[in-house]
Amino acid sequence: MTPERWSRPQRRLHAWGAVLVVLTLALSLAMVALPMSQLLAKFLAYQLHKTFGLLVLILTLARLGFRLARPAPALEGLTAARQRAARWGQAVLYALLLVVPLLGYLTAQAAAGPVPTTLFLVIPVPHLLDPDPALYAWLRPMHQIAAWSLIALAAAHASLALWHHRQGLPVLGRIWG
Amino acid sequence: MLDRRALLALAALPALPVRGQARTRYVFDQSVGRIGFSARHLGLFTSQGQFDRFQATLLIDPNNPQNAAVECVVETGEVSIPFPGATDLLRSEAYFDVARHPTARFAGEANGLTEAGGFPIAGQLAVRGVTRPFRMTARLVERQGGVARFQAEGEMRRGEFGMVADRTLISDAIRLSVDVRIQA
Repeated sequence: MTPERWSRPQRRLHAWGAVLVVLTLALSLAMVALPMSQLLAKFLAYQLHKTFGLLVLILTLARLGFRLARPAPALEGLTAARQRAARWGQAVLYALLLVVPLLGYLTAQAAAGPVPTTLFLVIPVPHLLDPDPALYAWLRPMHQIAAWSLIALAAAHASLALWHHRQGLPVLGRIWG
Repeated sequence: MLDRRALLALAALPALPVRGQARTRYVFDQSVGRIGFSARHLGLFTSQGQFDRFQATLLIDPNNPQNAAVECVVETGEVSIPFPGATDLLRSEAYFDVARHPTARFAGEANGLTEAGGFPIAGQLAVRGVTRPFRMTARLVERQGGVARFQAEGEMRRGEFGMVADRTLISDAIRLSVDVRIQA
């Protein structure tokens, strides 16, 4: 049977995922912009960026688990073509939510200066790669392009949800609250 | 000017001797040796850097190295560390202050004694215009054919040399290391 709404855990994970993506983006801008003279703040911004990025990855895996275990609510009021577009959009969003943190994780490992990755400066996360400047030079722009694609698609996703809500379609009610 | 490959090729060659009477005088630079440093960060990790240009003189009898004497001058502007932006930070006024202090210098002499882990070399370290007593422990790492490899390590307190920036993130204790191969 097709449910009317996403389950409570799915709604919570969606909200936390959105908050973390926005925070991770804000930290990425801050960590790059901070001058080396504010070294501690810069270092902490990088570490928090990596922490939140990895949390996005963990939350996304949890969301995928719920998604596979439970059918999605019906997209009432949308044409078949728009429903297909919505499903594809969600699939690409899920893919980017996995790929962006993974690329970031690998980028951090390939960087010439071997700074460890930790969750909240406490829990060490093992590195699988040795520093590799050539690989870093490839990974870093890939991470950035994928991240900006994620932000653009997430913004479009949110904008369309609001637009459909204003059209009277019950899309926000399925995920909100 | 030598390119990087030429420097690497030279690095494979040991420092050649200039014969004296008792000890032998070796003059070496970055082509046959390495002068590095390391710092700890929040107890989480260690960063390592090096000086890409220096001149050193080692007066040593490879069969009796505990009577060695060394003098080394590094060009602080040639400091390098593999973190984006960090090399410029180390050149800045808060760190090596390269504009005012383009070189740092260590001169020391072994006292003829050996101790666990090597033989001590005590002398004076001058960084940022501040000169303070400094001690390194040197040891013969290996000797193969006519080539002897020496390493020396010592720990400075950067704050004692007026290098006090970012003490929360970068340890006050900085380990200095020298690695050189000489044609004995």
